[in-house]
Amino acid sequence: MHDTVSFVALCYSNPESAKEQERSHSQRRGAPSEGQWRQRDKEQWQGEGKAQVRQADEEEQKPRQHEEDMVPKGTCQTMCPAQELRDREAQNRLHHFEMLPGTEKDRRPKGDPSRAVKEYSRPAAGKDSTKPSDLRPPPVLLKTVNYLINDIAAAPSLYPWTEVYTFVFDRLRAVKQDMIIQRMSGLDCVGILERTVRFLIYASYRLCGEPLRLYDPRINDIHLQEYLSWLLDCYMTKTGPHPNQEEFQSLSLLYNLGSARTMQHTMQLPLRLRSTPNIKLALFINQAFLERNPVRLLRLAQKLNFLQTCALHRHLMTCRQDLLLVYSHGYSSRNCRFPLDRLAKLLFLDASLTAQLCRSCGVEVNKDNQVVFSKAAFTEPGQGTLHCKLYHSIASEKQRDLTVKNIVQSCVETNKK
Amino acid sequence: MAHITINQYLQQVYEAIDNREGSFCAELLSFKHPHVANPRLQLASPEDKCQQVLEPPYDEMVAAHLRCTYAVANHDFVEAYKFQTLVVQSFLKAFQSHKEENWALPVMFAVTLDLRIFANNAEQQLQKKGKGQPSEMLEKAAEQLMSCFRVCASDKSVNIHVLCVCVDYNSHFMHYYISCLMDVLVNIDIFNVGSRAGIEDSKKWGMMFLSNQLFKIYFKINKLHLCKPLIRAIDSSNLKNDYSPAQKVTYKYYVGRKAMFDSDFKLAEEFLSYAFDHCHRSSQKNKRMILIYLLPVKMLLGHMPTHQLLRKYDLMQFSDVTKAVSEGNLLLLNEALSKHETFFIRCGIFLILEKLKIITYRNLFKKVYLLLRTHQLPLEAFLVALRMMKVEDVDIDEVQCILANLIYMGHIKGYISHQHQKLVVSKQNPFPPLSSVS
Repeated sequence: MHDTVSFVALCYSNPESAKEQERSHSQRRGAPSEGQWRQRDKEQWQGEGKAQVRQADEEEQKPRQHEEDMVPKGTCQTMCPAQELRDREAQNRLHHFEMLPGTEKDRRPKGDPSRAVKEYSRPAAGKDSTKPSDLRPPPVLLKTVNYLINDIAAAPSLYPWTEVYTFVFDRLRAVKQDMIIQRMSGLDCVGILERTVRFLIYASYRLCGEPLRLYDPRINDIHLQEYLSWLLDCYMTKTGPHPNQEEFQSLSLLYNLGSARTMQHTMQLPLRLRSTPNIKLALFINQAFLERNPVRLLRLAQKLNFLQTCALHRHLMTCRQDLLLVYSHGYSSRNCRFPLDRLAKLLFLDASLTAQLCRSCGVEVNKDNQVVFSKAAFTEPGQGTLHCKLYHSIASEKQRDLTVKNIVQSCVETNKK
Repeated sequence: MAHITINQYLQQVYEAIDNREGSFCAELLSFKHPHVANPRLQLASPEDKCQQVLEPPYDEMVAAHLRCTYAVANHDFVEAYKFQTLVVQSFLKAFQSHKEENWALPVMFAVTLDLRIFANNAEQQLQKKGKGQPSEMLEKAAEQLMSCFRVCASDKSVNIHVLCVCVDYNSHFMHYYISCLMDVLVNIDIFNVGSRAGIEDSKKWGMMFLSNQLFKIYFKINKLHLCKPLIRAIDSSNLKNDYSPAQKVTYKYYVGRKAMFDSDFKLAEEFLSYAFDHCHRSSQKNKRMILIYLLPVKMLLGHMPTHQLLRKYDLMQFSDVTKAVSEGNLLLLNEALSKHETFFIRCGIFLILEKLKIITYRNLFKKVYLLLRTHQLPLEAFLVALRMMKVEDVDIDEVQCILANLIYMGHIKGYISHQHQKLVVSKQNPFPPLSSVS
């Protein structure tokens, strides 16, 4: 009954990726390593059947205890396990955010136990990642996340934010690892996941346009989707109350604009939830996208708050391009004269940016600032010619006085422990 | 059957296997057969008896099957599922050893079908107890399985490289089911065209049945893109037209639904129409199910269903939608969609029906054109028409956008003149028939 791991016959064309996936997956559920599994396979064929019937009887009597015995439970009360801190100190592998002030320039800087945070490390054969003294229990994990957000991500720093991001991203990944090994679920996870998702969404906007070696939007996206998925699963399985669920369902819709799967999932939520203002707005925006009505979409987008705009922002370039494409066809005629100012208003950009966008798409703007749409002229801008960052005004205007702390911790009063 | 002893049962199984009687063997292992209700067979520990009569791996297979009947008699589908998994795995071992013969295919159909049913029941039982999570690892697992399937299929030796994959504890049932199914598919070696086995003996005959089973799961868990490799595999098979009519109808139904999801409406219409036409007259329920998906597709292509048809198949939910779209009545369309929202969402067609809005706009604007009888239509006129339909939140900018989109999609032939605030349409066929526009 207690197959803590299920097995799947796999065959990879790329052995590297296979191993990588295997490790991260086994890490996720604390699976036994390969060798152990083969043995269990044999057992299964020979005797498990009998054992199962016996076990089933015992289980009826004490289900909970048996389960708890098998799941690793962390006991580490600090953000970084003592052993790891010692090791990294000795190997000179501390991050400067973790060093004791004044020792940074030493040959072997000292670690600051109040600022060191457990780092992410790949699971490896023979390495036991389930030692309780290395695992942090839920309250410590939440404390760690709050530290990372408030004291690192939101704090003024001498270092560029790309570095701040990389550090926080890695340490959050280690938090996730601890959560998985300990099979955390439900309400314990929600607080942590919510903050992580907000952070990554904000980062996707703030670091947009940074060079690839400093920030890779694809990697951010992959992890963000995983966290978001997990968070939405938590909402589904544990009955509420989930005070922030409305916020995150709508963020999911906006981040995944146009995804039929996300929309279908949303449509199946209870009516009461679906009718909340944020989700409704996100649904309308998605509908405008599916109906190919960028005018409506950009207008509705004005109503979004800053973080929601961050979630949506990567799609806005596509929407604007789409508008130019559709108008190139709809207004295509020799005598076409469409005022640039009017177009700028529709795109929610200033006139000069609008002209720049038109140029990138092959759309002609004459000397009287009139746009001459022509279906033959429109061309998809080449890769890398459109710099999203230049067109961030829709979001930046909303940021105004908001601090990073406001953004990531936002309406989280109820989650504070 | 309901009163035989365990020894008699085992003897029958032994003979069926020995004589390669696939159908009879399948019956002896299927939960549709009355033997499962026989208390003499519902043993807690049948292994020894089985080992006395049967060779491995058949002894394990039948032992697991008997344990399964015991579990089902106790209404414990979670246990039943576990044992059925063992049944399928043992069967696979045997199946793999059947070189160039396929007499065991009926057995495969029977045991995999029961596996899926138990997986469903087990999940439901868990849900009731408050356990069971929606499965996310399913996609990853199935993805990996498909990679395996592809590589193994092109490599003649069955080279299964086993690795550990962690799966969510509570929902590993559905996942495990998929893994068993994929094991079977792997053995079918479909890319081995011109195989050593003759066509009659080829295990390929099991492909469509298995694919249909997998489709059912993928649709249920809403991961449709996983259907693609299966479709490709069947498409490239030289047997695709020779499967039984029932299997073909099911197959076309799912592939049609997938095409719908991909917005390939022409293809969707082709497949779903086939399924509808070839579905047996007596299966009203199935015909109705096919129609639920065929109707929106036909409507998007401009063909409205008759009242008769809707009444015959008890699908009156579509009648208001139909009326609204033909009349260009956006208000009625919105009302109709929200009135039957639950039904449409449950069937997964709500989002597709929303696409009918564009068709509705087109029909409404065509009416404006017919009324005004000119080729230079003031934009104001469209705005007025929308206001009459109680659409309040659309202004002149949005009207222009909607019109531009209709022109872009080919529903209107013409152009908008911003200076004159007019839509200038072609003198010939400005509103081409919907079926001609892709």
